[in-house]
This record gives sequence, C-alpha cells and structure tokens, in this order.
Amino acid sequence: MKSRANPSTTMTKYAAVALGAALVAVPMLWPAGDDGAALAKPAPVKLAGASTAVTPEILDAIAEEMNRSMQSLQIGRAPKPYHISYKVTEVDVNDVVSSLGHATTRRNRHFVNIEARVRVGSIDVDNANFVVAGAEAYDGVSAFTLPLEATPRIARRATWLVTDTAYKEALIQLQAKNDARRASGGAKQDVPGWTEEQAVVAEDPVDVPALESLDDLEARANTLSATFRDHADVRDSRVGFTSYLERRWYINSEGTSAHDTRRATGVLIAAFGQADDGQELGQHWTRYGRTAADLPKEAEMKAAADQLAALIGQLAKAPKLDRYTGPVLFEGEGAAGIVRYTLAPHLGGTPLPEGLAPAQAKQFGGGFADKVGLKVLSDNLSIVDDPTASKAGGHALIGGYAIDDEGVAAQKVEVVKNGMLQTLLHSRTPSKKGEKSNGHARRTAPGGMFHGTATNLILTGKGGMDRKKLVAKLLAEAKANGLPHAIIIKRMDDAAATATPEMTRRELINLYQNADTDLPPPATLVYKVTFDGKEQLVRPVQLGEVALRTWKDVIAVGKAQTVANFLASGDGYVIQRLTGVGDGAVPSSGIESSVTTPDLLFKELDLSAYTIGKREKPAIPRPDGK
Amino acid sequence: MSRSKTATAAVLAALLLAGCPGGPTKVEIPDPVLLPDAGMASVGIDLPAVPSVIETTTVEPMTGDSPADRSPLLDIMVAENRRWMKGLGSAATPAYYLAYQITDSRVVNLEAEGGALTTDSDEQDRNLDVEIRVGSPALDNTRVLSDPQTAGLNDPLTRHGVMPFGTDKQAISNHLWLETDRRYREAEQALTYVIQDQQTLSKKSQVPDFSSAPAEVFVGKLAKLEYDKAAWVARLKRCSERALRGKATRGTCSVVFQEITVYFVNSEGSQLQQSFTSAQLAVSVGVKAEDGMGLGRLEQRFGVTPADLPDDAAVDAMIKTVTADLDALHDAPLAEPYVGPAILEGRAAGVFFHEVFGHRMEGHRQKDETSGKTFASYVGKEIMPTWLSVFDDATLTTLNGMQLNGFYRFDDEGVRARRVDLVQQGRLMAFLMGRNPIEGFEASNGHGRKQPGLPPVARQGNLVVASERSVERSELEKMLLEEVKRQGRPYGMVFTDISGGFTNTSAFGPQSFKVNPTMAYRIYPDGRRELVRGIDISGTPLVALQSIRAASREVETFNGVCGAESGWVPVSASAPSLLVEKLEIEQSYIPPDRPPVLDPPSIKAQGKAQAGTHGTHGGAQ
Repeated sequence: MKSRANPSTTMTKYAAVALGAALVAVPMLWPAGDDGAALAKPAPVKLAGASTAVTPEILDAIAEEMNRSMQSLQIGRAPKPYHISYKVTEVDVNDVVSSLGHATTRRNRHFVNIEARVRVGSIDVDNANFVVAGAEAYDGVSAFTLPLEATPRIARRATWLVTDTAYKEALIQLQAKNDARRASGGAKQDVPGWTEEQAVVAEDPVDVPALESLDDLEARANTLSATFRDHADVRDSRVGFTSYLERRWYINSEGTSAHDTRRATGVLIAAFGQADDGQELGQHWTRYGRTAADLPKEAEMKAAADQLAALIGQLAKAPKLDRYTGPVLFEGEGAAGIVRYTLAPHLGGTPLPEGLAPAQAKQFGGGFADKVGLKVLSDNLSIVDDPTASKAGGHALIGGYAIDDEGVAAQKVEVVKNGMLQTLLHSRTPSKKGEKSNGHARRTAPGGMFHGTATNLILTGKGGMDRKKLVAKLLAEAKANGLPHAIIIKRMDDAAATATPEMTRRELINLYQNADTDLPPPATLVYKVTFDGKEQLVRPVQLGEVALRTWKDVIAVGKAQTVANFLASGDGYVIQRLTGVGDGAVPSSGIESSVTTPDLLFKELDLSAYTIGKREKPAIPRPDGK
Repeated sequence: MSRSKTATAAVLAALLLAGCPGGPTKVEIPDPVLLPDAGMASVGIDLPAVPSVIETTTVEPMTGDSPADRSPLLDIMVAENRRWMKGLGSAATPAYYLAYQITDSRVVNLEAEGGALTTDSDEQDRNLDVEIRVGSPALDNTRVLSDPQTAGLNDPLTRHGVMPFGTDKQAISNHLWLETDRRYREAEQALTYVIQDQQTLSKKSQVPDFSSAPAEVFVGKLAKLEYDKAAWVARLKRCSERALRGKATRGTCSVVFQEITVYFVNSEGSQLQQSFTSAQLAVSVGVKAEDGMGLGRLEQRFGVTPADLPDDAAVDAMIKTVTADLDALHDAPLAEPYVGPAILEGRAAGVFFHEVFGHRMEGHRQKDETSGKTFASYVGKEIMPTWLSVFDDATLTTLNGMQLNGFYRFDDEGVRARRVDLVQQGRLMAFLMGRNPIEGFEASNGHGRKQPGLPPVARQGNLVVASERSVERSELEKMLLEEVKRQGRPYGMVFTDISGGFTNTSAFGPQSFKVNPTMAYRIYPDGRRELVRGIDISGTPLVALQSIRAASREVETFNGVCGAESGWVPVSASAPSLLVEKLEIEQSYIPPDRPPVLDPPSIKAQGKAQAGTHGTHGGAQ
C-alpha cells in the first residue's frame, strides 16, 4: 500500500485506568470476584479479523480521489476546498430481543459507508458549524454506501460523488454563513473556524473479538426473558442483547490516515407493570462490556430480572411522594444517571452552531462555556474524561477509542479539579483563538460538525463516606431543614430502554404536549428514608430543573464508585419515548459512553410525583390467569 | 454507533394523496403554459370489432386448502379472540368485532453496484395487527369525524406489533392480550369522540361503518423460499458491472426474495393461513443531466419464486434497455408544455389507468367527507368509450403468459378475492370495496388490503383494461399522426414508461392527477421520433378517460408495488396501448443542481483531462 500520509503522530493506545483506592466495585453492578480473574487469565477469544470490505487498496483509492479534489475541485471563481476529510465506517451488529422465552426480533445489520466533509473558505472563516436556515441539509457533509467487499473502483467512484455533493453544499453554507455574519455585525469573527492539528498515522489493523452469533444471543435472551413467565405483576417484558463491531478509518487532506475499531456487547432487561391506580410502571437494567465475557454471569442477570419483577410488584402498591424540596442522595445507577443527564452535556467545549434554534441548542448543553477557571462543582469533586481508558478498576468501559471522529488522537483530559473548571472537551471547532482539540469530537450536530462530548467520564470525590455515614448525613440535612424524611434515588429512567409500545395515539400526543423537555428523565427507583433509618419504596418522581449551580452543593460523596456504560442518544427523552422501541428493538444506536461516579448527596433539589402514563386497568385479566 | 442523518420527529398527518408505484409525493409545480388550442372538436374513429388479446389463468381462493398443515398459532389466536369477545360482552362498551393478523416474513435483499455487493441481508420478522371495533356496525369507533379540524381525534395508533416467534401459548397469548388491551382502550375512547360528533350533526349519514362478511376457513401449505445465494450474488455483480456504463453514475442490480405467511382470525369465525413466496429483480441506473435534473431508469421483473425471474439473456436485455435509455435521456432536450394527442403504450397505459382511474375506484374515497368523490354520482353512467371495460381480479395469476403481482386468495379483512367489473362497455358499475360500506355498495368484494402495521382500506389488485375494439400497435401510431394533423399540432407524444405519480382525491384540492413519464417521445408528422425529458402528464380523470380514442390489440402488464394510506401492496395493471385525443403535459420540477464538477475518476485512469471539463467525454456524468 502506498503511504497516504507523512507520519507525525502515532496512535494513542487504550489503557486501563487506575483509580487507586477511590474505586470500589459496587456489587450490585459488577461482581467483585470476577474482575481479577478475568484480567489475569483472559479466556481465548475468537478474533474478528481484518476487514474484507475496507482494505489498503480502498483507502488508497479514497486518498487518490481526495488529492484530485483538493487539486482540481472548483466551480468557477468559487473557493476550492481547503480541507477534505473522510470517515469510512463498517458496522456489523447482531441484535436479538426476546419476550417470555421467545425471540421477537433477530437481525444482523452489516454495512459500510463513506462520509465526506468538505470545508471551503479558510481556517479562519469557513462554512462549517453553521445551520442554513430553511436548508439545514446543506452542511458540507455527504454520505454514500460502499460495497461489502473491497472494490477500489467503486470506492473511488463513491468518493468522487460524496466529495462533489459535500463541496456544493459547503459553498452554499459558506455563502449563508457570511450573509448571516454580515447581518449580525460580524460577530465571532475573531474565533477561527478550525484548529490546526498534527496529522495522525495509525494504519495497522485493530483486531477485536468477533461478534457473538445471533444463535448465541438468542439463546441468552430466550433463557433470561423466560424469567418473567412466572411473575404475575409484570404485564410486559423484554430482554435484548446486542453485539456490535464498528471499524473506522479517517483520512484527511492534512495527511491523517488512521484506523480504529470499537466493539461492545450489551444486555437490556425491561419490565413493565401497572399500579393499582393505573399508573404505568417501568424498570430497566442494562449492562455493556466489550464482549459478552464482560457481562455479568447468567445467574446474576437472572437475579436482576427477578429483582425488576419484584420491584414492579412493590411499586404497584407503593405510595406516591408528595412534593419535596430537600437533600437527595443519588446512589449507584442513580448517581450515574444524574451525572449523565445534568452534568455531562455541559462539558462540551465546542461552540454551538451559528443559526441553531435556541430550543434545539439546549440539548448541546454549553452551560460551562465561559466558566473555565471558575468554580463549577463542589470543592470535593473532580472530573477526568478519558477516552484512552478501556477499564476502570477491572470493569470494562465502552466510551473509549484511539482516534476521535475528526481523526485526532484521543486524550485524557482533566476537566474539573477540586471544583474548579480546568478546561472543556474540545473538537476541532474552537470556541476561542488558540484553542486546540483534545480528541473529543464525537457527537454530530446540525451544521455538520462534530462536537466535543464526554466519553469515559470519571467523577471522583474527596472524603468519601461509607453508606451508613452518608445516609446519616442525608438525614441530618433533612432534619436541619425541618423535613420529616429524606430521599434516595437509585435509578433514573432511560427511555431508550423503557419506551413502551403500550401507549395509544392520544396518550402519545398528551405525553408530547405535556412533558417538559428541559427536565431530566424521571427517577424510577426512589426511596423515602425516615429518621429511624427505614427506607420505603415510593412511586417514580420527577426532578425539577437541576441548575448547574446545584453541582456546587454536593455536600458529600460515597466511598464506592459505580461504573455505568450506556449508549448516549442524540435525541431527547420525550422523542425517545415517542419513537423509542416500536418493534421492541434493543438500543444499539447512540454514542458509546460511560460514567464512573461515587454516590452523590445534593443539599437541595425539588421533586414531585411523576404522573404521566396513567391509564385504565386491563379490560380483562391476562390469559394465564395470573 | 453511527446514526444516520435523518430527522427523528414523529409526523402525524392525514394522508390525502394516493399514488404509486413511487409512493405519494407532492411538489410545487409551475402553471402550465398551454399551446394554442386548434379548436378541434372530438371525432369518432371507426375501430375494428376485434378485441384486445387477453388470456388469463386464475386460482380459486379455496384451491389447495390443506387442513393438515394448520399451525397451532391459529388455535392460540382463536382462543384469545374468543376470550376477549366473551370478556367484553359484559363491558360498558362491548366490542362487536375483533380481528388478529400475524404476519411472518423473511425478506432477503441482495444488491450490487458496479460489480460489487453493497447489500446482503436476510431478515425475519413477525408482526401483529389487531383490529377492534366498538359500538355497532352502523356507527363505530372508526367513523370519520365531521370536522376536518378534529378528524384525527379518533384515529388509532397502528404500528409494528410485537409478537414472539414460534407457537408458545403463553408468550403468544400474552402479547395478543397486551395489544388487544391497548387497542380496546383506544377504540373505547375513539367512540366517545364519534358519539359526541354525531350529536352536533343535523344530518347524519345512514351508511354503516362496517359490513358483515361470511366466515372463511382456509389453510394453505407453508411456502418455502429456496434460492442459490452464491449464484444470485454472482449474477447481480455481473449485472451491476454491466449496468454502470455509459453516462450512468449509478448502476445497481438487486433482488428481493420474500417468504410470507399470514395468519388471520376474526370474531366472525374466519381462520385463514396463507403462505407464499415472491421474487423481484430490479436493474436501476441513474445520472444527473447537465441542468441538474436527476435521471433514472428502472426495469423490474416479478415472479412467485426466484426461479421465475429472467435468465441471463433476459437480464442483459434489461441492462441494454436501461443503459441505452439513460444515455439517450442524458442528451435529450427538455420538453415544453403541450396539449395534444398522445399514445400511452401498454405498460404506461396500465400505470396511467392505475393512477388516474384505479385509485378513484377505491370505495372509501367515495365516502369520506373530505374526499372529492369524483365518481360517486357516475354509477351506471358512461365515463369512457363504450368499447372499453375495466375489471380488477385478484384471483388472476397470469395474463398473456405473464405472472401477475396482484394475486391473493383472501384480503386483509378475511374476505375472499373475486373479480369486480368496474366498468362495463364504458359504464361505471362498481367500486373496489373493503369492509367499509358506501352508499349503494354495502358489502366487501375482497379488496381490503394493507401492509403489516397499517389499517386496511380498499386497494387495487390486478387491474385490467379490456377493449372490444382494437387495432395493431403500428396502426395506432398512424392514427396518432392523423390526429396530429387534424388538430394542427407540430407533433404528437408517445409515452412508453411511466414511473409513478399521484392523484389528489381530497375535496380541498382540484380533482386532478399527475403522472411522471420516464420515457416520452415527440412523434413528428414525418415519422421522426425525439426523446424528451422533464415532463409530467396532468389533468382531470373524467376528461382524460373520455379522451381515449383507440386501443391496440396487444396488451402489456405493469407489475409493481403501490403505496397509499394502507402502505405498500403488490399490484399489477394491464392495458392495451391507448390513443388519447388530448393530454396535457407540463414541465416537471428540476432542482437547481449540476452534474459532478470533476469527471469520473475512471477518466483519469484512461489518461484524459480531469478538472472543469465535465460533459466533454463519453463517460462523463
């Protein structure tokens, strides 16, 4: 293969993260006994092997076409491209969903595509990161399917077509951007449109374990889903397994030619019931690892399914929570949830696309955009985001990669130190002069650019307490506020896992119209704890707005760290509830992410009962008479 | 994981357009600029009393009934259906009808582009549809509300219903129960809107919402899809390599093989198990013209099994057709607006009838208050020449030796398929009916159809246009030129291929149609033939049908799939070539675009010039 680039930076390798004594596996999430053994003596695994669709010859063909375009692509006196990049992606996914012991979905998806990004103008002012009002599709990006078997002639032809389309879009986008900037008095012109980065060359194949087969996944899903056959309180249930492999290649006109491969396997268990007053109840349990070997053992998953079923039964008779304003302890998955939904979105440092509607812009956070150097969290909290990490304390992290979506090597970033914001997670679209990417370009946004996004987010706290002390502090805080009890949240909803097909059209419309999209998802596993230490399960609650400043009032943290892997959706909670799992599919779409966090005690939050999803009880009993 | 660049917002909108095979679309169109009308009155043409050639084979629906092959799934469905009907008997709002349909599908999709395989999928799916009706057949939850502003209030949410594979009673029954409960809750609520709406009306329709139908019991043997994957991949690669030639920038060959089994049970006692395979081959090429117009040519063939599809020689002929047509289209001039005589050749005439006439024969369109009801008052009256008849017969399996795509035994409402004579000797006689009655047509004639996940409406199956009088095709062209001369036109038009179109049946818009010819030729008085592009045929159906002046002896068939509010269903349309006295042609929308700036990369390999010289080489765009 001819060299496509001059090597200047070598690929960053994955690394295990050592969190020292601060990290303690939470038995509920990861069996402590499994870790050491799994790390010390990995079982022999079948490897996926190199791609047969994207070979060096394919990459050469793409590079040749890129070079031709850089040299010759121009319409009249319009500007030529000053930068062209390609992301070639090969996705191979096996998904199986089962219910009551039998598969409802079983499918493989295998495809290859090429995505071109063309930038016109100059590094100071270019077309990108701008939404053309009324023509949002003009974003300088175009994609095309590539063959499943290496065919350089077709790859080059596809490259020719996507580059051409992206170039034409980029010209229109630049024109519109310049017009908009003129109309707004030339705002933001002191900020470059793009950063200069060193080219990265990492062309060696990255082999990963082969996918678990559909038959293997179906057997697992059938066995686990059969658990719910014996649970009378569960109306509906499903178990999904997904096994996916994503190979990526990045080529750009600066000389970058890098390859990366991502691999994950996940399990989802979801159970649904109905409270005595008709309120819909849903519980979920998800785990992801790099392969099925990283998942909990079958017995543990069965226990989790049994626990979900039991919770549905208990929730059906549980009391509703009155309005509550006071201290809240987020434990385990609950802590990961509050970090995921209310803090992580604000760590991105990429400026919002110009022209983006304010309502749409909210999902990209940006709350910390001008807070670098200032205190943003409690003094005892620090955050590191580390895409180079593959494990934390022996637990697999799925948010890692070697190369980000702009071809920049992944970097470990210290985002917050002792409450002070050090920096944000950057892509190659800077928010100020002199800013560089730190290898976090992942999430696409309107306007065609990748935005800096959390990957493996690791939040640590000083002075971690054991649970007994933490609960005591929670109660003391409640008492000081004159409250009769305090609240512990152990799980927040994930609509990608729990979207139910049971809603009617009117119910869906009501949900869409009544849900406040600015609020985090409801908390689905909530306990009221009284001063005698008793914990009582209550029905799901809705958190009020969790303002960023609330994060300065985390008054204590736990000793143990929880690791939660998930696929971060680009859609908001309500949209996922509306469009979520129409055919009962397992969520295998989204950005691979993880959050590692201790339990978090907030000084004061607003809560109220979650009331959406109330409906009549079934007109006739279920067929098995349970 | 990657996410595609697609919108995620759910769109809930009433579908007022019906169109196929390309599916409903709506575009802004410029006002047509008509050529001066020569002021010629219509003239009668003496046609020989020789009918068009139509030879058919049929399969009666009950043929092949095989009770021994009955799946246990039917028994589970029957039991749960009865349990619900019994349980709801004492409910405040009882159900009077409940139907279950479970569709097992295996879909194999193979596609190659330019000699390389791009798609290789083999997916199995099982879908559950539940239809429940509360109230009474005279007035139920499905009644369309009178005020268009509120018409959606009682619409159901229909979608892919979750159903486990296999025949496990507990798993199947539980999911039947879940979906029935959801749909019952929805129907109960919908009925309250209907009753409230009725209370506000001074004049109430006496036409019922649902018709009864006899119980049908049929068990078909389970069909088995068999094909040689390696051989088909090799064929498609070879095919697509040959298709990506000339001016084409896209050249694909694909097959879709299906194995479908449909289980249907309703509370009237129907129990149906229908199983079949289907096979479809497509050769498709495309390119952008110099003015940016997207040009494409598609040839498809259908069969019951993969073995029915064309052999290599026939595929080569398909490739030759599409590539030659595409090259010609690339260099063809844009057409101008025109009104004058035209020939719709066999397959194009079939599509024309399907769009312009067939969709308006779908019974529910004569009922809905928001529909234009174009033909509601024409029953028994002459709507086209007396030598023309039109029927739809889903029991037909072949016509003139060609397999028909619209064959089925029982429709998606459990009603037996049958022939329906829509027009006899020019007079409108009937409509295509599902179980939604209209005035004068109370019963279904077996045309309630849908794709899984959507509610059924009346749809076409195998539409056939038959002429009692006809001429040879070559004679038809002579007649066209005489008509050109008589009308004082500079040329006539011949349409040999129509890709699809749409017809507006909403009362809020003009009762017009628009179809999209792919291959359109000007025929000059001296016999010269000139391909043109960028046009649509538009008009109103009654005028268009009454403008038919002659038909050919030869009858051709268009096989395809048709999209409308109940989804995609397989159909066919067969017709002789037709001479039409006047058709109106307008320029189609051409997006502001241009071909690729650089020449194709293959030109570089041949050592030719590259930049900024598009369109100067044989292989360009």
